[in-house]
Amino acid sequence: MSRILVPCHVKGTVALQVGDVRTSQGRPGVLVIDVTFPSVAPFELQEITFKNYYTAFLSIRVRQHTSAHTTAKWLTCLRDYCLMPDPHSEEGAQEYVSLFKHQSPSMTFPKWLSHPVPCEQPALLCESLPDPSRVSSEVQQMWALTEMIRASHTSARIGRFDVDGCYDLNLLSYT
Amino acid sequence: MLQEESDLSLIIAQIVQKLKGSNLYSQLERQAWASLQRPEIKLESLKEDIKEFFKISGWEKKLQNAVYSELSVFPLPSHPAAPPEHLKEPLVYMRKAQGSWEKRILKSLNSMCTELSIPLARKRPVGEQKELLNKWNEMGTDEPDLSLFRPVYAPKDFLEVLINLRNPNYENGDSLSFRTHLGLIQIPLKVKDIPELKECFVELGLNTGQLGIDDSTQVPPELFENEHVRIGQKVLAEQDSAAAQQYIRQGSPTALRAELWALILNISSEPEDVLYYEQLKTNVIQHDLLVDSLIYKDVKLTASNDDYYFVFEDYLYQVLLCFSRDTSVLSHFAYNSASPPKSYIRGKLGLEEYAVFYPPNGVIPFHGFSMYVAPLCFLYHEPSKLYQIFREMYVRFFFRLHSISSHPSGIVSLCLLFETLLQTYLPQLFYHLREIGAQPLRISFKWMVRAFSGYLATDQLLLLWDRILGYNSLEILAVLAAAVFAFRAVNLMEVTSLAAAEAVLADLSTLKVMPLLQIFLFATVT
Repeated sequence: MSRILVPCHVKGTVALQVGDVRTSQGRPGVLVIDVTFPSVAPFELQEITFKNYYTAFLSIRVRQHTSAHTTAKWLTCLRDYCLMPDPHSEEGAQEYVSLFKHQSPSMTFPKWLSHPVPCEQPALLCESLPDPSRVSSEVQQMWALTEMIRASHTSARIGRFDVDGCYDLNLLSYT
Repeated sequence: MLQEESDLSLIIAQIVQKLKGSNLYSQLERQAWASLQRPEIKLESLKEDIKEFFKISGWEKKLQNAVYSELSVFPLPSHPAAPPEHLKEPLVYMRKAQGSWEKRILKSLNSMCTELSIPLARKRPVGEQKELLNKWNEMGTDEPDLSLFRPVYAPKDFLEVLINLRNPNYENGDSLSFRTHLGLIQIPLKVKDIPELKECFVELGLNTGQLGIDDSTQVPPELFENEHVRIGQKVLAEQDSAAAQQYIRQGSPTALRAELWALILNISSEPEDVLYYEQLKTNVIQHDLLVDSLIYKDVKLTASNDDYYFVFEDYLYQVLLCFSRDTSVLSHFAYNSASPPKSYIRGKLGLEEYAVFYPPNGVIPFHGFSMYVAPLCFLYHEPSKLYQIFREMYVRFFFRLHSISSHPSGIVSLCLLFETLLQTYLPQLFYHLREIGAQPLRISFKWMVRAFSGYLATDQLLLLWDRILGYNSLEILAVLAAAVFAFRAVNLMEVTSLAAAEAVLADLSTLKVMPLLQIFLFATVT
């Protein structure tokens, strides 16, 4: 099943706070980011990926647009998902995060976001070890990913540090 | 595929790919081909029979050790969207700070180069090559004029950089709070407290036998020592890295230590390894590097002046000069926040095909660097083995002591752990030392940066490094530093100046590390 990026528009953050922004002293603890999808056709949302920057807890709410005569409803898909186990320390503060459709029980996208696809229910991974032959076949699928990782490492060295026998250097470079 | 399963497959794929390029892989292949001759290998059950053969012949164990080694050293693969810098160091401001620090070091080295009119690297004339080859085993007798060279930096310069580290997203507020301002480190990294450390270092507890405590002359060896040695011999016979790592948490018998460390670090001296070392030696003979003079100077200033280590001076040159030429060290920069310095062949500035790393291994030594090697000379006398062990220790542990990162074993975390332990469990002492202008970290920093090498008696140091290997973490250094302060607290409470405080803590050579650690973690009323 191939996956494609859904074009979306991410608006700037809005602070949720009571009272006048100019006069109040305190810093708001809750910020809201609006994400809209310009494309009209319904799609099955599989994964949301983002880079965190010091957000401790995340909630996701979805609003459904139906026909003109019914009011749009807000549904909570995710509530207080913990991104930083200790908000006063750096753990998780700048991590890359992926949220999957079936990751946690509270993460349910409403029906209109997903058309029924005949696929088996994914079993919960408990304490038992995965089946080795199944894992080894999945390793083949992961090969493209590791190729990407390998390409991003420092380039392969063949043990030589010189260029054609020459190691006559100028000065160290700052870039 | 669920997230956890795909993570596991990714880890397996990565390890398989890494091992594919290794010696072990070609050996396993050869063994598999050779095993086809054996009568018990049947064509209809080929895969199972070969797997069984590997198990019986001990090759499966070697593979297990290699996999365990990869898991211990390399961090888990991060999110697919994360760029390579994220694996080196996830926090952007720390990466920037490391970059600035590196730039300062490069500037310092460049100015040394231009001031002294000495090239970064030059090819040795044939006569000089012959001369060096002849005195390879006694380079210590050389007395080159090193007066113009100065170390690129000393630990105290590095400490100043760490003190000035700030998270731009962290606001302390104007008012003095408990966490801020008291200690020197102002970064909110997560560090363990004593209950968490007790859980982590459970084998150091009062009810568990320890070498360093329960092998003292007053304790009859039947109670613990004999059995522990017997188990150690069994672990070595099994050649199991993971078992060795677990075993060594209670300390290693002196007779078994060299083999145990080699097993844990997965170092086996194959002929290829000896050849590789000889190749590095050839590189040293052929090219002279500016960094060599820094190494000479460091050895002369530190190890040569040390009562325990001066005998190993020649070994130190043989290891460190080769280390600088070893390009395989470059691979550790994938998970090190530091980056190797770059240079260009003379006249080809800016042309990427003439870009090289300098020194070839990307590591610029600082004042005290040779002390990482010195204690190992007690264990290994064959130069290529000594070299391999040091290199592995460096890319697993020591590099974290002189680069800026948020890793729990990184020097920043160790400093914060030390200060937090002291503030929390010895608040009066901490407050007193601060009041007299003797911030505790200013005294303990040099101990931790050198992993206590040169400060403790050698047998005690080796017992400490046993635990570093056993727990695959450097946190024990911060705990020991705090334990030392706790031990000398009475004297420290009476001093009235930084100089006096330093005098109280100047000589650690009589300390016994295991009792100190045990008392601090398990026997102090909190």
